[in-house]
Amino acid sequence: MELLVFVAASAMVLGGALGVILMRNPVHSALGLVLTLFGVAVHFVALEAHFLAAVQVIVYAGAIVVLFLFVIMLLGVDSAEDLKVDGLTIQRPLAAIIGIGTVAIVSVAVLRTRSTIAAGPALEASGDSNIRLLSRNLFSDQVLAFEITSVLLIVAVAGTVLLTRKQSGPTGARKGS
Amino acid sequence: MIFAGSQSVIAQINQWVAPTIDWHALAPELVLIVGINLVLFIDLSLGAAKKWAMATLTGLVFLAAFIPVVTLAVIGDASREMFDGRYVVDGYSLILKAIFLLAAYVLVLMSQNELEEGGYYQGEFYVLMMCSVLGMVMMTSARDLIAIFVALELLSIPAYMMAAWRKRDSRSNEAGVKYYLLGVFASAVLLYGMSFLYGTTGSTKLTDIGASLVDGDLLGLQVLAVVFVLGGLAFKISAVPFHSWAPDTYEGAPTPVTAFLSVASKAAGFVALMSIVMLALAPANSVVRPMLWVLAALTMTVGNVMALRQTNIVRMLAYSSVSQGGFILMPLVVIGTGNAGDSVLRAVIVYLLIYAFMNLGAFSIVIAVARRTRSGEITSFGGLFGYAPGLAVLMTIFMASLAGIPPLGGWIAKFNVFKTVLDAGDTAAYVLALIGAVNTVIAAAYYMRVLRQVWMAPAPDGDVSPIKVPSSIQAALAITAVGTVLLGVLPGLVLRFGDITDLTGALAR
Amino acid sequence: MLAAIEPTTTWYLLLGAVLFGLGSVGLLVRRNPLVMFMSIELMLNAVNISFVALAVRFGDISGQTAVFFVMVVAAAEVVVGLGIIVSIMRRRPGATADDLAELKG
Repeated sequence: MELLVFVAASAMVLGGALGVILMRNPVHSALGLVLTLFGVAVHFVALEAHFLAAVQVIVYAGAIVVLFLFVIMLLGVDSAEDLKVDGLTIQRPLAAIIGIGTVAIVSVAVLRTRSTIAAGPALEASGDSNIRLLSRNLFSDQVLAFEITSVLLIVAVAGTVLLTRKQSGPTGARKGS
Repeated sequence: MIFAGSQSVIAQINQWVAPTIDWHALAPELVLIVGINLVLFIDLSLGAAKKWAMATLTGLVFLAAFIPVVTLAVIGDASREMFDGRYVVDGYSLILKAIFLLAAYVLVLMSQNELEEGGYYQGEFYVLMMCSVLGMVMMTSARDLIAIFVALELLSIPAYMMAAWRKRDSRSNEAGVKYYLLGVFASAVLLYGMSFLYGTTGSTKLTDIGASLVDGDLLGLQVLAVVFVLGGLAFKISAVPFHSWAPDTYEGAPTPVTAFLSVASKAAGFVALMSIVMLALAPANSVVRPMLWVLAALTMTVGNVMALRQTNIVRMLAYSSVSQGGFILMPLVVIGTGNAGDSVLRAVIVYLLIYAFMNLGAFSIVIAVARRTRSGEITSFGGLFGYAPGLAVLMTIFMASLAGIPPLGGWIAKFNVFKTVLDAGDTAAYVLALIGAVNTVIAAAYYMRVLRQVWMAPAPDGDVSPIKVPSSIQAALAITAVGTVLLGVLPGLVLRFGDITDLTGALAR
Repeated sequence: MLAAIEPTTTWYLLLGAVLFGLGSVGLLVRRNPLVMFMSIELMLNAVNISFVALAVRFGDISGQTAVFFVMVVAAAEVVVGLGIIVSIMRRRPGATADDLAELKG
């Protein structure tokens, strides 16, 4: 059963990823991204990381990809990108070499470290304690980082609003509320 | 059984105790957070004519954040630890906090006129800047991979927006996109390395990681983790071969932002590098040393060679800052060898402080001159001595200091670096010192080229009316010039930093 | 027989490696800034898979906390990145990463 879930979810992840990098239309790429993100969420469920699985679906698939699609539609750049035309002909093989090289090196390192990393099955039942454990950790050891991210979110929103705002005058016009 | 079963959940809740928070130690960060919100909301209700007040307010916030740094330094000699040693306020972090806040104050002075006259959104710009500085201040105390990551993003994300802040200029847009894509890519690489580091040691706390790694017996995955972590950080400090974003972003971004990126952002990258390398990766020296050696040698050399070919002053300063980054990397190469261990931190911190002074000074002059000439070419500095002798003398000081000519600050910085490297006393260190020495000579060539324009060449368009320097830039120039000269003449001031030879929690070596 | 085989941490790490590789290929090959950005999201998800798999194998929660922060920061990054891309695309519709070559050298 676990094997089946793993294979199915991995197929979603990798199929979606291939979709992102091969589809010519950005909208299709975004849909490929959704598939990958759902696949990752399934893996999280299988790994008993329930809270992260929920966040993955709500924040990543729900908010982030919708934002992508929204921007694609807003800008009207949903026209196909010609993958054949490539200014830098060296880039394609170079990318392949870097990609395959990364995968190969990491895989070899993982496999050689296998005995130390994962002797047994990775999965263990943990009941509903996942969220409790996570929140305990979040609000004790990592509480400062957690609070600081709130500043990051405020500033990101405030800055982005101004970046995308159409500037009206030669000098910064009065910003309304 | 990996997690505790559900029957013990109640017990776990009872175990949970609110983390003890040392408010005094957190005061600099809290002041900045209050300042961010204050500026954000006051700016909303302020008419366009009064926007200048935002710069003053931001400057005051930076100075206010400086006060707790001073009181912490005066009161406590022991380090203060919070969250199980994940956030540490010690001598090392206090000195770096002071450097960041001081640099930020000078940057506000430099930005003020540029923003008022350039038609930028002002209030929000300062909000972004304060947010970025908050990330830097946090970085100095972060002793956990997660905290370091959050601090790094906190200082980078506003910087992406600042680089694109000149919205109607497509070069600024491009600077923003390029910086953004490469910056986020670097974060992903860094995180991937962090995940392996966590996965092979079982902790995100730097000191625990350091305790788990065993030198000479590193797992393949650990070697890879080190490579990824160092690679990701190398982007942030624009070390060659991860520097390609720097010159383009530096040229395209508004000049005060360029100064911000090349001084404050870069210094923060070095702080992250120092904390991780000294606390977590100390046992992995066999991987860290060769990698940093190559990075340092390449960064110095390539940065210098490219700087020689530039005709635009901002691009030249961009490549010069790349090559200065190589010099700052040099002492980190010899961590844990010979007698060098103790002086590494001091050499890096002194270099960062002096580099902040001289580079900010050079950028202030570029801003002041470009206000009239509207040009970024080196030739636009022709005849500067004729019509603005004050600026010419100051430019000479900053350029000579960057080149490392005694008795200016840059000389002390370089002297410390070379002394540290030579103290290590092995062949690799000697070769690196030799490369550094050759580079110092090359660097002098392009700094002198600017000075030749300033002193010898005629004004390009015959316009010799004096330059009016706004008072805020005058103040920035005064602070940076005094800093550059004073630290050179009285090196004893910074050699007191000798007290901070050890990071709290560093492994005994 | 097959049902007895359970996926181990190694499998998840290998999956993460492949996903990371695909993301980096996409970043290098594609010229549309939006798609390049999606490729970076793939890489971040590879990181998340590795973190969670390793956290579970240690029975230690802090790896999952790290993923939580990656997600929060990724959300902020996406907002900022799309903001920058919108401001550039408004001026020059259909811009690709190659068109952004006013700065060169």
